[in-house]
Amino acid sequence: MDSFKALFVDDEVEFLDTLVKRMKRRNIQATGVGSAEEALSFIETNPVDVVVLDVKMPGMDGIEALREIKRRHPLTEVIMLTGHANVEVAIQGMELGAFDYLMKPMDIDELIYKLQDAYKKKYVHEDKIRRMTRGDK
Amino acid sequence: MGLIHKLRKAISAGRKKAAPVDAEELRIAFRARYHQFKLLLNANNRALEIMAEMEEALKGTWPFGMHFVRARCTAVAASVFQIVKHINELAPGPYEALYERFKEIQKKINPYLSSARHTLEGPLVISLDKVDRNLADLVGGKMANLGEMKNRLFLNVPEGFIITAQAYFRFMEAGGLQSEVDRMIQATDASRLDELFALSAALQQLIIRSPLPEELEQAIEEHYSILEKNVKANVAVAMRSSALGEDAAGASFAGQYRSILNVRRETLFQAYREIVASKYGLTAMSYRLNRGIRDEDVAMCVGCLAMVDAQAGGVVYSRNPVRPGDDAIVINSVLGLPKSVVDGSSAVDVFTVSRGKDPPEIEKEIAIKVNKFLCYPDEGICRIELTEEEGEKPSLTDEQATEIALIAGRLEEYYGTAQDVEWALDNEGAIVFLQSRPLQQRSDEEAKAPPEIDRDAKDSALITGGITASGGTGVGTVFVVRKDMDALSFPEGGVLVTEQSLPRWAPLLSRAAAVVTEQGSLAGHLGNVAREFGVPALFGVKGAVENLKDLKEITVDADSRVIYRGRIDSIAKAPAKKKGLMEGSPVLETLKGASRHIIPLNLLDPDSPNFVPSRCMTFHDITRFCHEKSVHEMFEFGKRHHFPERSSKQLLCDVPMQWWILNLDDGYREEVEGRYVRIDNIVSIPMRAIWEGISAFPWEGPPPVDGKGLMSIMFEATANTSLVPGVRSSYGNRNYFMISKNYCSLTSRLGFHFSTIETLVSERSSENYISFVFKGGAADYERRLKRVLFVGDILEEFGFRISVKEDTLMARMEDRDLEYMTGRLKVLGYLTIHTRQLDMIMLRSKSVDQYRAKMNDHFKKLLAPLKQ
Repeated sequence: MDSFKALFVDDEVEFLDTLVKRMKRRNIQATGVGSAEEALSFIETNPVDVVVLDVKMPGMDGIEALREIKRRHPLTEVIMLTGHANVEVAIQGMELGAFDYLMKPMDIDELIYKLQDAYKKKYVHEDKIRRMTRGDK
Repeated sequence: MGLIHKLRKAISAGRKKAAPVDAEELRIAFRARYHQFKLLLNANNRALEIMAEMEEALKGTWPFGMHFVRARCTAVAASVFQIVKHINELAPGPYEALYERFKEIQKKINPYLSSARHTLEGPLVISLDKVDRNLADLVGGKMANLGEMKNRLFLNVPEGFIITAQAYFRFMEAGGLQSEVDRMIQATDASRLDELFALSAALQQLIIRSPLPEELEQAIEEHYSILEKNVKANVAVAMRSSALGEDAAGASFAGQYRSILNVRRETLFQAYREIVASKYGLTAMSYRLNRGIRDEDVAMCVGCLAMVDAQAGGVVYSRNPVRPGDDAIVINSVLGLPKSVVDGSSAVDVFTVSRGKDPPEIEKEIAIKVNKFLCYPDEGICRIELTEEEGEKPSLTDEQATEIALIAGRLEEYYGTAQDVEWALDNEGAIVFLQSRPLQQRSDEEAKAPPEIDRDAKDSALITGGITASGGTGVGTVFVVRKDMDALSFPEGGVLVTEQSLPRWAPLLSRAAAVVTEQGSLAGHLGNVAREFGVPALFGVKGAVENLKDLKEITVDADSRVIYRGRIDSIAKAPAKKKGLMEGSPVLETLKGASRHIIPLNLLDPDSPNFVPSRCMTFHDITRFCHEKSVHEMFEFGKRHHFPERSSKQLLCDVPMQWWILNLDDGYREEVEGRYVRIDNIVSIPMRAIWEGISAFPWEGPPPVDGKGLMSIMFEATANTSLVPGVRSSYGNRNYFMISKNYCSLTSRLGFHFSTIETLVSERSSENYISFVFKGGAADYERRLKRVLFVGDILEEFGFRISVKEDTLMARMEDRDLEYMTGRLKVLGYLTIHTRQLDMIMLRSKSVDQYRAKMNDHFKKLLAPLKQ
């Protein structure tokens, strides 16, 4: 369970590019997209393990995107990463199943730990499902 | 769907003893629970770290802004919410009430975090004729004062109008501008000067590029047309910032925002945007940060006043700002526009006018002025070189100086406090007033008579002279700043040496030990800031840059106006403590209010009947409650399911010990059948460290050993608690390790005291922590307390943060690397064993000292291999 797929969603292009580059250097299969709509269609064809989602974006906002991702792909973990400190959004996001709510500026190592933890959670879940379906047969 | 359902059931299976499940399924369920538990611990740890950080901030000794308050409150809420979520997933049912508690507490915090929505009413633009002091909330303090001078004191003040706070809010809210600004600030690390520079530039660009609401453009144009009618066609205006909220926290430092002179109709909007943008100038931003002024309280109003084409101008102080006892009136004056007095960029004439004498005595220091500022005919201002003959001429006649002084005296009387007044002399020789504000004065204590020049240090004296812009003495390394790039690397505690006293060096003052400049008067902004921050400043020191640039350490005695080579101890008293600038500031008060619902801990005793969700009054209470319960739930799982693989084992170390181990995940080298686990089968990094501390030295101190050595004592001690091995008892009543490779929680009752260690130690230094709680004892309260303090003292030496409540000691440590942490765990393991019954000797200080000496020796041995 070393390398996993992560999708980064942020409308700040410069920030996004740098982040994706740094993630790749750390052996994470990272992709970046600039909007929630793009993210949803990307995941449809390229399943990912963890999504890192900006909260405030033009078009569909992060909360709406979170709801949609969780509806379509309940096992995909979503981390919210935002420049807005907003308690209500944070709580709402976690009620909707977000793994965590993080604020920029974020130390890159800390972010990677979060990604790893989120992926571990998904992995444990999936493992359980795998074994249980095997038991059903 | 069925799958998910089944999954949920499996996770929550822990609650019931119901259907027997097979071992494999239990193992998976246990692993999922452990992962949940680990996430809970992570969140728990983060919540406690943020609370500690907030507590530190509450001391008010370092600057922070509202974005800090919001970010920390949001992060702590997010963490606590996660904790609640995790405990409910670990054990669905009994903890659901916590969601309600969480929301109740959050509701109490919210008012401190929401931006105070302005409920201001009033026009977007208002004529200066209609303004007086009562309208300060609409037009800002500076313009309200100017209106007062014009309409109540009937002084000669230019015609004009003001673009109000209402207009500012309308502008910033249009198109979500404010929200974008907030986001950019939040996402920047404000402790780094270079990031702050970049942020400031980006914010200003953003504002300057944003369009004004149409209704605002119309209102400005209308008022400009009225001004044209009243003054003349195509009238030039001076656009001056007049911010709201500058007066908060007793801050009087104005001039950190832009003023733009000689503006015509075509560029009104652009100039307005530039002035609004200057709210995010570096000087202004770091000023607010350092004074705890909330960004949202600062609304930028802009006064547009008919331009005075000045032949001379300057500033008058109704008192001497650096010598409060002196009641003479001091005028700083230049040729042309008063601009260069205010920004400290050139030499000024100083007229000191005595008070209450007719005719007054006037003391004059006429400077050789090398240039002056004038309006260009169309737009903007220019600097003109003066010939020597022109430059030597006094900028004012004695009559003019007398008149200015007279009015300054009147203004002081009217406002009841010393004033700092900007004025200009128009082409007809009439005196026009442009601004009046309270004067920053040094307190009497600061202004004691200058000390004698140190005779012993005479040889070290380098330079004498200059003007005391801010008193005191400072020692530091010379750092010459010529351009912005230099400023980026300005060191903490350096002596700022620069040519001109420019306002743009103000952000450096919070780090500077002293300031020395070649030009500038105490009237300039830099001097104001230096006084406000209590940084010694010597201005007008000729050749300072050239003479000091190659030196390292110097001593600046701003009071007696001497600069010495090196550190002169007799002069450099302990550096005057910088004022606790955050004290009483709006930002600090906001943090105080919010943290009342976050930080205090009311739930201390897990055995108390009050240890229930409904008694959780703060986030800390919820955190504490959930932590205790989660450990309990983890332990219960293995027991409840008769799950031998995941129930506790007795530790085997040659012989069975009175210590039980619960393996949460990967704490064993290999799985264990049966009742016992051998110490060398344990791979938990923190547990091995603690155990090393426990077992390294046999107990030798009082009470005397009976000869059977460490093992027997450990048997005895645990037997004291009247627990018989094998009897099922609550986890809290035995010596229990819960372990994984990187995690360990130890609950122990040895002798009569109760202690817990909880720790996470891995390569992720930023997640590492140790938490230690130590309580109880058999002796009387006084002895128990002494022991707690004794242990606390040792832990502080080893870098723990401690707090003591009654006879309970709590110690924490975070963020250190693996090696450091394991060393500390050895110490804790040692203390767990060796402070046993120490309270019996606690009142005999001699034996305490002996005991302490021996312990120190042991610590050295315990930690020694680490140092190699």
